[in-house]
Amino acid sequence: MSHLSSTDTDEAGDAAATDELRTGLVEGLVNELQDGVVASHLLPGRDLWVRVTAEAWDAAGRVGRDVLRCSYFCYLSVIDWLPSPFGRSMDSSVDNILEHVAAKDPEPMTHGVTGGETRFQLLARLYDVERHVGVNFKADVPDDTLTMATWTKHFGGANWHEREAFEMFGITFAGHPSLRKLYLPGDFEGYPLRKDFPLLSRMVRPWPGIVDVEGMPGVADDDGGE
Amino acid sequence: MGLVESGKLPKPLTKLLNISRKYSMWVYQWGLACCAIEMGAAFGSPRYDVMRLGVIPFPASPRQADLVVVSGTVTDKMAPAIRRLYEQMPEPKYVISMGSCANCGGPYWDSYSVTKGVDQIIPVDVYVPGCPPRPEALLEGIVLLQEMVANEDMAAKWKGEPLVVN
Amino acid sequence: MTAISERQQRAYIASQAADMRVNVELETEGMTLNIGPQHPATHGTLRIIVKLDGEQVVAADPVPGYMHRGYEKLTEVRTFPQVNSLINRIDWLGSFANEVPFILAAEQLMDVEAPPRAQWIRTLLFELSRIANVTLFLGDMAVQLGAVTPVFYAFRDREYVLNLIESATGGRFHPNFDRIGGLKDDLPKGWIAETKQVMVKVNAFCDELETLLVGNEIFNLRTRGIGVIPPEVALSYGLSGANLRSSGVDWDNRRDTPVGLVYDKLDWKVWTHPDGDSFARYWVRLQEVREAAKMVIQLCDGLPPGPIMAKVPRIIKVPAGEAWVATENPLGEMGYYVVSKGDLVPFRVKIRSASFNNISIVPWLLRGVYVPDVITILASLYFILGDIDR
Repeated sequence: MSHLSSTDTDEAGDAAATDELRTGLVEGLVNELQDGVVASHLLPGRDLWVRVTAEAWDAAGRVGRDVLRCSYFCYLSVIDWLPSPFGRSMDSSVDNILEHVAAKDPEPMTHGVTGGETRFQLLARLYDVERHVGVNFKADVPDDTLTMATWTKHFGGANWHEREAFEMFGITFAGHPSLRKLYLPGDFEGYPLRKDFPLLSRMVRPWPGIVDVEGMPGVADDDGGE
Repeated sequence: MGLVESGKLPKPLTKLLNISRKYSMWVYQWGLACCAIEMGAAFGSPRYDVMRLGVIPFPASPRQADLVVVSGTVTDKMAPAIRRLYEQMPEPKYVISMGSCANCGGPYWDSYSVTKGVDQIIPVDVYVPGCPPRPEALLEGIVLLQEMVANEDMAAKWKGEPLVVN
Repeated sequence: MTAISERQQRAYIASQAADMRVNVELETEGMTLNIGPQHPATHGTLRIIVKLDGEQVVAADPVPGYMHRGYEKLTEVRTFPQVNSLINRIDWLGSFANEVPFILAAEQLMDVEAPPRAQWIRTLLFELSRIANVTLFLGDMAVQLGAVTPVFYAFRDREYVLNLIESATGGRFHPNFDRIGGLKDDLPKGWIAETKQVMVKVNAFCDELETLLVGNEIFNLRTRGIGVIPPEVALSYGLSGANLRSSGVDWDNRRDTPVGLVYDKLDWKVWTHPDGDSFARYWVRLQEVREAAKMVIQLCDGLPPGPIMAKVPRIIKVPAGEAWVATENPLGEMGYYVVSKGDLVPFRVKIRSASFNNISIVPWLLRGVYVPDVITILASLYFILGDIDR
């Protein structure tokens, strides 16, 4: 089990301290993929994350379906971990007071659970409808090629999800039967869900700001937030 | 109808024509998003019965319609189709823009794929605000449009340009 | 701000025509039929390019995106409560159901739990929005098959449910009623009694449709054995909700992973159907409306007293972390993968909407069927454009 970088048991409390079902899934993956599994993260009784290498992505889909019996394809998507160079694109004074920082400070790139090294990370979820357990797969997309293996041969549903990822993030899927735009008109330029894609309307029109902060029921209005 | 185009139509006759036009408004439903359901409720449900206003919501194609209700979010991908629809309608034609999205972009005012208002591609006669507007609000919009039609100078509206169909 | 110039327009039209040529991969001498983007039979702005050989479909290619509004990008520039009012509009027929999984994901990250009464009312409104959503399907499917009457019944009885939602939340369509930590308000006086009366009407509506359609010979001929989806294909395409259960897969998020909602305290049944055809999909949804009405009555009876809001800070900053929460929405499994970096705004929200997966099976499903059945199948899959395109 040297591959398991973090097994989070903080929340063990009342839930089962050892989640045998999910631990079994991780073991199954490690047996099949060997070094392909980079890290895993387990919230007992709740959820499971596994990060695999880019090379093992294709095999992870096959193993997930055939060995782990997670045959329900939930979704496939991408996370762009680059901090937005535009802040929140809110220039009103109200927002800046709330944020306590200048909106355009460059931040370091930090990754979420199971870590990561590259800017783009693939995220997919498979689920077993009999045992009611799911796995979140993650994989770093190589920065230089932005190309990953396709899952369409394992899951029919991956077709549209990969087209969406291609159009929104510019990730190419090798072996995809017809990688073309899904949502946007043919002459649209850029990859809208990348963090460095600006929302032009926000640049030309000032953000109206938070006009009224609604009071919570049962809370006096004068407690002034945090 | 050379008389109409010449602008020499006698006043009482104009009035008569306007009344008949206003109470036989064939409306084409261009339902796009959430508002389409409220439009369906206004036009198709027994509760709001739009036909009592003299509006007939069943033309088979825009070529038979006098009025189009654009209800819902207009995206940049949809915009050319809407423009083409408008061009297919015979003159005189009217447009009601229903809901915040069709009026100005609404909650998607900063989106990269949404046209910020249908009035950027076709002229709009009546705007119905709301997200989505209640069916009653749409009926009110139709009544407003009918008032407009009743007081219209037909010669000004009807320029006598030939109908162009792409 | 995006005025469309004449030149751009021509480019759009040309690109659409080019799409049409490229999209159909098979090289047969047939007819290409373009359905949509605005067509009465697609109830929404879905465009489908169908290549025909005689009256049989050789290849079908749906072109979504006419309603793509960019939710996932917009969530990155809105605070958590603002996102809540935005995502109402994804599945616009059952709006309240869209809010719940997102709020639950945010609560999971903040480690907040709504008080019991709020959980019960959430479940109650969730099931009411299911009724408001699926009743329209029950009427609409009949319209697609040529029977106009049921849709009038559907609009009539749906209004009662919308009135209930409106009197409780203030919004007929988009309630925006859920808050992180609870609900905006408690239920109004007299609402419970009124709800129970409406549920009697909903049950009567279901009975009416059952006698009108389910036993009807024409309806049976048009739907039985049409558009059969085997369970393994359904799973591979990620179909969920009634579409999956009508293929015989017994899985319902409400029963199996009831996070934050009180379905485990109710007496109800998950309906499945072994056939996997259009009829099965209709039948399962009809039963689901009945079950929802049954649940609503139980929820009304068992509503516990107490506060409706947990203690949360006024300005909500969600701690860094990642959470996935999915619920069984009227259209199927709807889930949000929320990545927060401890800010006012989410870092990334992946919206997993049910219709997107449900419709991605269309190219597989339509191969070899007859043109009139295309409409039946599309209607029975039951999609909402906002839920496909987001």
